[in-house]
Amino acid sequence: MVSVVLNTDVKQEDAGNAVVVAVTSRALFESGLEDDDAGVWKLSLAFPLLQAVQKVNDCLLEKNPAESLLLDVLLITTDSQHQKLSSLLISSTKHHGLGVGKFCFASEETFVDSLLENNVQLFLSTNKDEVQTASQKGVPSAMLEARKKDSSVSCQREDLRVWLDEDLISLRDSASEPGSRHSPQRFLAKLGEIRQRFSVSDSPLWISLVILHGSRENCGKRLKTLRSLGVSVDDVYCLAGAPSEPLLSVLQPHFRFNCCFMD
Amino acid sequence: MLQTAAALSVYLVGGFFFVLGEHSVPIHLSGLSAQPEGLSMVKMSLDPVQVMSGQVQDIKVSPSSNGESRGSWEEKEFDQKQLDQTTKPKPPKPENAVTIAVSSRVLFRTEREQKVYEQKGVEEYLRYQVEHENEPFAPGPAFPFVKALETVNIRLRELYPQSEELFDIVLVTYNHAHVGIRLINTINHHNLFIERFCMTGGSSPIGYLKAWQTNLYLSADAEKVREALSEGIAAATMFMSDKMTTVSESQLRVAFDGDAVLFSDESERIFKAHGLDKFFEHERENEDTLLDHGPFKGFLEALAKLQKKFYAKGQRLNCPIRTYLVTARSAASSGIRALKTLRAWGLEVDEALFLAGAPKGPMLEKIRPHIFFDDQMFHVEGAAEMGTVAAHVPYGVAQLHSKKK
Repeated sequence: MVSVVLNTDVKQEDAGNAVVVAVTSRALFESGLEDDDAGVWKLSLAFPLLQAVQKVNDCLLEKNPAESLLLDVLLITTDSQHQKLSSLLISSTKHHGLGVGKFCFASEETFVDSLLENNVQLFLSTNKDEVQTASQKGVPSAMLEARKKDSSVSCQREDLRVWLDEDLISLRDSASEPGSRHSPQRFLAKLGEIRQRFSVSDSPLWISLVILHGSRENCGKRLKTLRSLGVSVDDVYCLAGAPSEPLLSVLQPHFRFNCCFMD
Repeated sequence: MLQTAAALSVYLVGGFFFVLGEHSVPIHLSGLSAQPEGLSMVKMSLDPVQVMSGQVQDIKVSPSSNGESRGSWEEKEFDQKQLDQTTKPKPPKPENAVTIAVSSRVLFRTEREQKVYEQKGVEEYLRYQVEHENEPFAPGPAFPFVKALETVNIRLRELYPQSEELFDIVLVTYNHAHVGIRLINTINHHNLFIERFCMTGGSSPIGYLKAWQTNLYLSADAEKVREALSEGIAAATMFMSDKMTTVSESQLRVAFDGDAVLFSDESERIFKAHGLDKFFEHERENEDTLLDHGPFKGFLEALAKLQKKFYAKGQRLNCPIRTYLVTARSAASSGIRALKTLRAWGLEVDEALFLAGAPKGPMLEKIRPHIFFDDQMFHVEGAAEMGTVAAHVPYGVAQLHSKKK
């Protein structure tokens, strides 16, 4: 049984133009650990991401109060245990004042359908299997990255940092249908459009392209492909097989998105 | 240090050999032609047995380390997952290669674009770059050096087809990714073998350059060079020059200053604080104490390691890498300590030039190195005036004093 609940504390976005980003409850809350005073859950890995998304939205609205191209966050449960704890999830979310527009209570079997039904354009989780399953069904998905800083005490909001790459090893396993409404290209185009709202040096959204293997020819092609989608990346790294961990540690992206470039 | 030339007047004109094991290091002196007492003039010859007479005789000459490692080098197989079919050789893993990071502003000439940036701001600058995307940049001061590195790689691959012990050139720029396609087009145009690059959009690459065991970083920006040096990466600032003499296309030649480049700046500190006499006294007293290492010791070591790969295949005379020490020290006195230190480190340079304070420009013009590293701008500029590509190492006490003329 799947249900969607609106968060009445948050202004609902224009469904047409908004980019729906789904985050799992397991990624957002450390379940089982309750804040003593309020009886709500403590925040986990996805919190800095939500803050960064909020920052992007605030900056977009600052530029144009009538902006409809905003990031709309959907909090989704992906297992039956959390599915049953809907009221606790809602109260924890409201308590922390998180900019979550909708809640979706689904289980392991039903969450992918929920993602599709809710027009989710990016699904973020800390669970590799979930990311793979969703990807295979055509929902652009990514793993949330651990942050260096202690996220729960962060008072200054970070920019949203996105790492685009082609992790071709995992690509071999996923088989998204070309031309699907939920293809990665659509998400990238929206991301690019949001980036275009800001200037080169003053943006709350930062997009990095990382070519893990392959030659500079690869890299040139990818840059051109992204440009044709309307995506102007901010920095680009062609690693030619060099280890990516040191780069990851410097860039600190919120998530790494597999672009699934089709040649 | 020009003042010292007049004060000392103990130079030889000519050269003589100093024996280090089986390999002779030709030592050149230049300057005034007054003959010192106790030193005799020995003509330059290829006879490896000739030993210098005079003060230098008390140096114990022992067989050096260059003959022994003729055994097989660790040859690792490539096992990278290369996903595009290419006939080009695959780039080596960073830990195996000698990694040279070069900034786009020194590999290519970008003055016109710099002007656009300075006069019209970043947005206009990027628009200009994209507009001119299909126009390759012209070669910059580091270009001949990089080409020479590639020549060495070709020779290394011939001798050791499976080895990853090669030069690996990484292009690093603080430029925004908008310039990416133009840079890639430029690399293609000049047929450079650069597969690894970082266009950071403004953030510092030093963190991962360090993790990738970068052996040398060349940039036009002294601040970035200082940052690299503070992280233990040999780094130097390069400058645009109108005059560039032609250099060898078959042999990589790298020249190093001694103090504050290969060695620490301890002796320079003494000289700056207490003058020349104190400097000589200190060097004499400490002749048998090794100098501490400087920021470029590691890079010389990396070059020496590759040289040995050629020697191991009987290519000593034909070695496509040649190294030079070009120092203001004098062979008869303060130079001894430098040579002893190098020997103790198991390092050699192919040629040691002890100028005893004479200007370096003319000597460098004769050697024609692809690059010369010095910690003093005075020498860098002097070299550049005569067409040598010289890079400044902003290290040590010399940076605190304004240059003397």
